[in-house]
Amino acid sequence: MSKIFVFLAMASMFGVWGGGNAAFAQTIGFADAIKILHASCGADIEKYCKNVNLGNNRIQQCLQKNEAKVSDQCKADYAGVYIMLQKRFAAQEAVTKVCDRDIQQLCKLVKPGKGHVLNCLLKAEPSVGDKCNQAITDAGYR
Amino acid sequence: MKKIAFLAVGALALPLVLQTVAHGQTKLSRNEIINSLRDAEVQVKVNADDLRAQALQNIKQHPGDNATTALPLSEQLAKLRQFNVEITFDFDSDRIRPESYETIGLIADALHTPYLWGQTFFVVGHTDAKGKREYNLELSQRRANAIREALVTTFRVPEGQLEAVGLGEEDLRDPQNPDSEINRRVQLINVGF
Repeated sequence: MSKIFVFLAMASMFGVWGGGNAAFAQTIGFADAIKILHASCGADIEKYCKNVNLGNNRIQQCLQKNEAKVSDQCKADYAGVYIMLQKRFAAQEAVTKVCDRDIQQLCKLVKPGKGHVLNCLLKAEPSVGDKCNQAITDAGYR
Repeated sequence: MKKIAFLAVGALALPLVLQTVAHGQTKLSRNEIINSLRDAEVQVKVNADDLRAQALQNIKQHPGDNATTALPLSEQLAKLRQFNVEITFDFDSDRIRPESYETIGLIADALHTPYLWGQTFFVVGHTDAKGKREYNLELSQRRANAIREALVTTFRVPEGQLEAVGLGEEDLRDPQNPDSEINRRVQLINVGF
């Protein structure tokens, strides 16, 4: 197992990211994730991944391959960002389940698919329950 | 040295890009992208293969230094919901520069919202008119491919939602100033459900 994964596991146990403050509980979008990583890993990417392109997770793989040389700040932030991204993916998976009752009550007549149901929930925000609204926010849908 | 520069960033241009970001004046936001792309009204039947073929055909049928005729599909495309972004690449290469990662992340975040679910988007790459037309066409296609690849892999956008099209210098934004950098852009076009 690569060391970075050990690091990730540790980070999730001890809250390395943000010293265990409120930021740790958040989910994060791709753009914000990159903003953090650009600041802390940008120099490493320029140094070790100069010919690597963004697709197919090649930058992540390149940073992992050069883990021994990559800055501690980059490793720490990478671990934190990774966790917050996973939380967002999990929130996206969970939305329809968490919002099941709200959907039944408020968006029953909306045809499924193409985001129609979620668009209905977004419009109905004031009437939607707290849990569902939070799930929608965590999923980055707002 | 080849002069073709589809948003190629030289050592001089780089500080300018960073400066713009630091000042936040033209800071792109996810919602800006969503609002420009959402609520596609027309049901369109535009085929990415047709569009690519038209660009190639334009060079063959009307050869010369610069394109003189518009593509048959461009009028139709101009009516669609769309958004222009600037994405920078290494010189003569399809490697996206790290300072553009955030822009790609914003596009991904926008495409992941329910406002844009289930719709198909063209990622259209354009160059300015410097350099050979065939070369620009090929480079812009590779660059559009690189953006699409990043979006559908690293950024988890469903594959079927995106088509990559490179139009080189065949559909200039400002035909009066063919060499102007305003022509170098990536267009996101909502081609509907």
